[in-house]
Amino acid sequence: MKKLMKVVLMVIVLTVLVSACSPKAPASRWDAIKETGKIVVGTSADYEPWEYKDEDDNFVGIDMEIMREIGKRMGVEVEFQDLGFDALVTAVQEGKVDAAIAAMASTAERRETVDFSVMYYAGDNIMLKASDSDIAFTDPLEAASYKIGTQSGTIMQYWVENNLIDPGLMAKENMSLYERNEQVALDLQAGRIDIAVMDLEPGKQFMSDPAFGFMELWRGVMETEGQSIAIMQGEAALKAELDKHITDMLNEGFMDALFTEYGVE
Amino acid sequence: MEVLTVLVPYILRGLSITLEVTAVALGLGLFFGSILAILRVYGGDLLSRVLTLFVTLLRALPHILLLLIIYFIIARVVNLSAFWAGSLSLAIISSAYQSEIIRGAIQSVPGGQMMAARSIGMNRIKAIWHVIIPQAFRYAIPPWSNEAAIVIKDSSLVYVLGVPEILRQAQYYSARTYQPLTAYVTVAAIYFLLTFITNRGLDLLERHIRIPT
Repeated sequence: MKKLMKVVLMVIVLTVLVSACSPKAPASRWDAIKETGKIVVGTSADYEPWEYKDEDDNFVGIDMEIMREIGKRMGVEVEFQDLGFDALVTAVQEGKVDAAIAAMASTAERRETVDFSVMYYAGDNIMLKASDSDIAFTDPLEAASYKIGTQSGTIMQYWVENNLIDPGLMAKENMSLYERNEQVALDLQAGRIDIAVMDLEPGKQFMSDPAFGFMELWRGVMETEGQSIAIMQGEAALKAELDKHITDMLNEGFMDALFTEYGVE
Repeated sequence: MEVLTVLVPYILRGLSITLEVTAVALGLGLFFGSILAILRVYGGDLLSRVLTLFVTLLRALPHILLLLIIYFIIARVVNLSAFWAGSLSLAIISSAYQSEIIRGAIQSVPGGQMMAARSIGMNRIKAIWHVIIPQAFRYAIPPWSNEAAIVIKDSSLVYVLGVPEILRQAQYYSARTYQPLTAYVTVAAIYFLLTFITNRGLDLLERHIRIPT
C-alpha cells in the first residue's frame, strides 16, 4: 500500500516537472496570427471612453475601434479578451494574448517585460480636488504638501514618485494607490485624500458628474511615453505590422477623427 | 427604479458564471480535498508530510496571488479558457482548506469505529469508505458551510482573469455610467443573498442527516 502511494506520488511529480519544462512552439507570433486569421487582443474593459462594454456586452471605445481597424488592415479578425488591467502585461508576456490595448503607456518598467508598438496617443493628465476644497496652485510640484491618490501602475503613479517622493518633497505615506479610478474618486469625496490625479478623460467625467462635482486644480502632460499596443518581446514581425498600420492611421487622420468623435482632446 | 430595471438584470448576467465558478471550485475542491485528507491521515509518514507541506503552502498565500500564479502556470502547460483556469485555480486553493476540514472530521471519528470495523472482517479501505467517511462527512458540514461561503466570495477574484462574473459586470456598469456606489452596493446585496441561502441550506442538510444520539 505504502509502496503504491510512493509510486503514484513519483508519477505525479514527474508529470508536473516534465510538462512544466516542455518548451512552447517557437513559431513567430505574426505567422501564427496569419495562419489562424485571428489576433487575440487583451484589454481591460472598465475605462470609458477607451474601452468599456455597452449594454449588450459588446466591446466599445476608442481603443476597440483602433484595434478593429488595424485588424481590418492586417486582414485578420480581432478577438478581444477582457482581463484585469494588472494581469494584462503578464498575459502578453506569457503569450495568453497576442497583444494588449488598454490606454496603456509604454513605461520603462513595462518595457522590461513586453515590447510596445509606436504610440498612438499621448494625453493630458489632471489633478482634481473636492468641490469644498480651497487648495490652489499653478505649479504641480506644490501638490507635494497634500495627500495624493491615483491609480496604481499608471504613469500618474510614476510621475508622483519621480517628481514628488524621490526628490524628498513629499512623504511616501501621503500617496494612496488604488486599482481603479472610481476608488480614487470615492476617497477624494470622502476626504481621505486631498488631490486625485487621473487621465484627463475620466477626470472630466468626475468633474461633470454632480455626485462628485470635483474641480480642476492643474492640467498638463505627465507622460513621456504615450499609449501604445503591448506585444510579446522579440516579435519583430508583429511589431512592424502594428507600427505600419498605426503610422498610416495617424497620417490619414483616422485617429484624430476618432478622438474627436469620443470627445478626447 | 433604474437600479431594479437596468442595473440588477445587467449584473445578474454574471450570476450563472459566479454560480458555475463556485460549483466547480467547491466540487473539485471537495474531491481533491477529500483525497488529500484521506492520504494525509492514512497514507503513511512520507506522503503525509509532503501533502501537509503542500496544504501549508497553499494556505499561507493570498488567494488572489495564488490565482494569478496558478493561472499563469496552468496557462503555460495547457491552453485553458479563463473560466476554467480561474475555476481550477480556486478549486486547488479550496482543496487545501477543505482537506483541513475533512482531516479534522476524520480524526474526530472515534478510534473505536475503525477497530470495530476491522474486527468484523472489513479491510482497511472498506472500513474507511463505509464506516469512517460517512461519519466524517457529517461532522464536516458546519465547517464546510463556512468554506462554501468563502468560495462564493472568492469566485469574485476570477474577474482579474477577465471572467465576467457579477463583480466584473458591476465594474462594467460602473465604468459606463460612473455610478460606482450603486453598482457595488447592489452586487454586495447579491453576494449576501447567495451566501445566506447556501449556509441556511447546509444547516438544514446537517440537521436532516445528523447521526441520532
